[in-house]
Amino acid sequence: MTKEQFEDRLWRIIPPDYLNEWEQEELVSLVAGFDRSLDDLIFQQIAAIWPVSTALCFSILEELDNTLQRITPDEVPEWVRMILEIFESDGLRAARSFLADRDNIYFQRLRGQGSLSFEEVSARLLPYVRGVANKNLLLEPGPSASTDTATIFLPREITSFGDEQQNFLFYKLIATFQWAFIEKDLYCQTTDTYIDFCSRLAQNYNTTPVAEEIIVTHFFSCFPQPDLAQEIYCLLQTVRAASFLEDYLPGLMGDAQCIFSHLASLEAVRSIEEPVTVIQKIRHWLLRFCAGLTITDVDKELADVLMEMQTLSSASIGVMLATSRVYDQCCKVEAGHVLREPFIFQGAFHAAAAHRARLARREENRTQFVEALASLFLPGADKADDSTGAEDEDSPTQQVDTSDSGITLMQFEPGKEEEQQATGETRYIRLEDQDLEIPDDIHELAREISNDMGGLPSAYIDSAQKMAGSGNFHHGTQSDEAGEEVTAGEKTYDEWDFRRQGFRKNWCHLIEKKVTPTRGTFVSATLEKYRGQIIQLKRQFEMMRTQHRFMKRQRDGDDIDIEALTDALGDSRAGQAPSDRLFIRLLRDERDIATLFLVDMSSSTEGWVGNALKESLIILCEALESLGDRYAIYGFSGMRRTRSIIFHVKDFKEAYTDEIKGRIAAISPVDYTRMGAPIRHFTEILARVDAKVRLLLILTDGKPEDYDDYKGEYAIEDTRHALLEAKSAGIHPFCITIDREAQDYMAHMFGEINYAFINDVKKLPLRVPEIYRTLTS
Amino acid sequence: MESRSKKIEEHLIVEEPFYLEQKNELTIALAAYRNGIPLLLKGPTGSGKTRFMQFLAWKLGRPLITVSCHDDLSTSDLVGRYLIRGGDTFWMDGPMTLAVRHGAICYLDEVVEARKDTTVVIHPLADDRRELAIEKRGELLTAPPEFMLAVSYNPGYQSVLKDLKQSTRQRFIALELNYPESPLEINIVSHEADVDENMARSLVRIAEMTRGLKDSGLQEGASTRLLVHSGILMKEGIPPREACRATISEALTDDVELIAAIDEMISAVF
Repeated sequence: MTKEQFEDRLWRIIPPDYLNEWEQEELVSLVAGFDRSLDDLIFQQIAAIWPVSTALCFSILEELDNTLQRITPDEVPEWVRMILEIFESDGLRAARSFLADRDNIYFQRLRGQGSLSFEEVSARLLPYVRGVANKNLLLEPGPSASTDTATIFLPREITSFGDEQQNFLFYKLIATFQWAFIEKDLYCQTTDTYIDFCSRLAQNYNTTPVAEEIIVTHFFSCFPQPDLAQEIYCLLQTVRAASFLEDYLPGLMGDAQCIFSHLASLEAVRSIEEPVTVIQKIRHWLLRFCAGLTITDVDKELADVLMEMQTLSSASIGVMLATSRVYDQCCKVEAGHVLREPFIFQGAFHAAAAHRARLARREENRTQFVEALASLFLPGADKADDSTGAEDEDSPTQQVDTSDSGITLMQFEPGKEEEQQATGETRYIRLEDQDLEIPDDIHELAREISNDMGGLPSAYIDSAQKMAGSGNFHHGTQSDEAGEEVTAGEKTYDEWDFRRQGFRKNWCHLIEKKVTPTRGTFVSATLEKYRGQIIQLKRQFEMMRTQHRFMKRQRDGDDIDIEALTDALGDSRAGQAPSDRLFIRLLRDERDIATLFLVDMSSSTEGWVGNALKESLIILCEALESLGDRYAIYGFSGMRRTRSIIFHVKDFKEAYTDEIKGRIAAISPVDYTRMGAPIRHFTEILARVDAKVRLLLILTDGKPEDYDDYKGEYAIEDTRHALLEAKSAGIHPFCITIDREAQDYMAHMFGEINYAFINDVKKLPLRVPEIYRTLTS
Repeated sequence: MESRSKKIEEHLIVEEPFYLEQKNELTIALAAYRNGIPLLLKGPTGSGKTRFMQFLAWKLGRPLITVSCHDDLSTSDLVGRYLIRGGDTFWMDGPMTLAVRHGAICYLDEVVEARKDTTVVIHPLADDRRELAIEKRGELLTAPPEFMLAVSYNPGYQSVLKDLKQSTRQRFIALELNYPESPLEINIVSHEADVDENMARSLVRIAEMTRGLKDSGLQEGASTRLLVHSGILMKEGIPPREACRATISEALTDDVELIAAIDEMISAVF
């Protein structure tokens, strides 16, 4: 490159008329001093620094040579950004002293560039997100941040900052922003007057938008340039989310200011090469707003829009309106449009994924609601006849046609409708000229459905009615199974039918089978894996056994009970017959507990769950051996009412030997979960055991379900009833259930305080002994 | 004798305790009192059960005798015993007897913790007999109309060994005192800890976040009492994050991950 070319390039960035001659000289000589391969880099940096401060530009160029001995040219932009940040917040002097300090923290940090992965943060972030959202959201790693309203996806790794703390903060910020998007209805999933607005827009721009199924996509397609509209919309939603978080979680936003100012300086460097667009102005504004920096001037119209975003309440319609205003502004000013990457915390926009999640949720809500409502109708079930089949209702394919369900709302009584509108809630449904008040548990569900669909679709209520009405189940399917296997020692048990409020007599055939022990490494592997924890547990359990409990006021004992003695002395002086219970005895073994562990061996436990179950049994046995409580272990599974099987692993009399260990290892998933009969069977067995406390601990994974009609509400009610029977027989049933999410039916089926719910399989092996300990101490 | 009557006066609550009604609990408790039916308060720890009893006692102008039950609490701890002083014996009324004699309110806190034999005294007092038998003195006291028995327990503890028996619980009128709704709780926290409303709102926000963590392994969320504690620490000039860490995250659990998560919530709010 000739000197002329070189200088030409320089003066294109810096208009030479701003400098006097000797300044020009100095600059050229400074830049010329570097290797020519660095030219591009240096010109780029000058372009970034020059408009900020001329003096700083000279200082940096002077220091650059030294710096290049410590860092690679690739790291120079980062270094410059850092200096600019310091300059902007603390002024020229601070920036110069940073430059002078040649071994500052920054370089140290750069050398050991830190990174943080999703796996490292998820354990801490998940409860945080769930707490903040008050919802059981999920966290998953993804290519970039995004959310489908049920799961929050976070980047697999963050390396933006040198130290771990900053990177974690960034993770937290991203997750919180994604939650704020859900909270603020980014995907417009609560119904509003979106459709009307969109059709007016389409008219205005003379476009033909795509179908209305996904409302946001529909909205974008109303614009001639959907991409631009989407970019503006997402950006404005981010502004809205940011100002919401500023208000709701000020601590986080305060902490994150450094992140935002880092992003702002990145943005500043980048934007110099590009023309200043409206979108860029918004991006600048947003970052500076979040970073707590002084807001740069934006024109009146844009300022209005941004102000509006900060004060918007729940509905996203305001954002749509604002989008169209900004869009017009964009089109007025510039013709071409370059799409910009969304901010990392802003993440990607996945309308289709959100839509799928919404449909899944809707389906789940529908099933739950219909089931719950059906049980509500039940007392008067006789009014509906059973001519319509219930099997239609069970199949998921028979989905309510959602396209018109928003229109076929329930009829509300005029007076009540007002009340409902005033409170924004649905409290009553009208049915055959009767008002039915929705009980609290269904109410929450109903509100969610109303939010989603704009009301309770009558189809749901019809389904519920049908379900409630078709009380009789189809027994025909059993005939082919009849007499297939009859084992000695077979027993039959009744099953509770909640529809008739009575038992189906001798309904379920129970077969007991022995588990053949397997020889493998499972037991030793488990013992090895949890070695430390087992030792700790054993100690804890031992402490429960040798609880040094002084029994006061005993007839004989180890020591004199002074309190009793003074009592007796007082009594005798007062002319009363003194008590002869004057001793204290140290009681070591007051535990008289017999526990039967009932393990779900249905096929749904295959894999992780099954293994964790077995591991927890091994750990538990180890711990129980040191405690000395009596216990038995059985598994259960089954296929239809004719073949409900219980698997004998260990009874109360058997000692915990290698044989038993082998049997535990041999537990493997079989068929379905038919819980009623096994519970009844073991209630009988436990009732015969002589112990002060009899505990029936059931380990299961989710809903009871069998191949035949044993599913849904029937199964839940039968299980519930079996548990109630156990309770009335003086047995304490307790269920430990593993599921991804807590389900509404659990509290109903197990009883509010009679179950524990574990959502992380990995925690199961250690949680089970812990639960046992709390239960029995 | 004189010393004893002085003692009962010490149980009188002179100043109005700060209490904001959640629902209808005062109406129901007053109706129960008028009709001589004992009261059972359920609710998580730190939700205001004890404070409610103080308020009720103040409202009724009756002394309040509180007994915190523990697993060694026996019948004579409640009823009373003979003591020796200088070669003489004299009878010392237990808290329950004291309350019955003077028509006070006897409040057994965490009643499930008490030894099972205490039901022997509780049962006849809790039904329409309203009698207290002092076996050693051969005395049978009948409670005056002013007397009231109240017990509390926390149904959240899942131990099968510590459950209230049906025969006991069915003698009571039961009130559930859960954590107050947020506007009310903000009010309570700002008043009790003497912090401004914004501070109280942030504290309640944290509490609500922790209460949603039951499925993630937290036994109970932050109680109103914990919030008051945090507020007091902040009032003392301790920075909010440190105050909350000491009073909320560390107090709630020992699980390292959960503590970290709760800390994140705190630092998000403050």
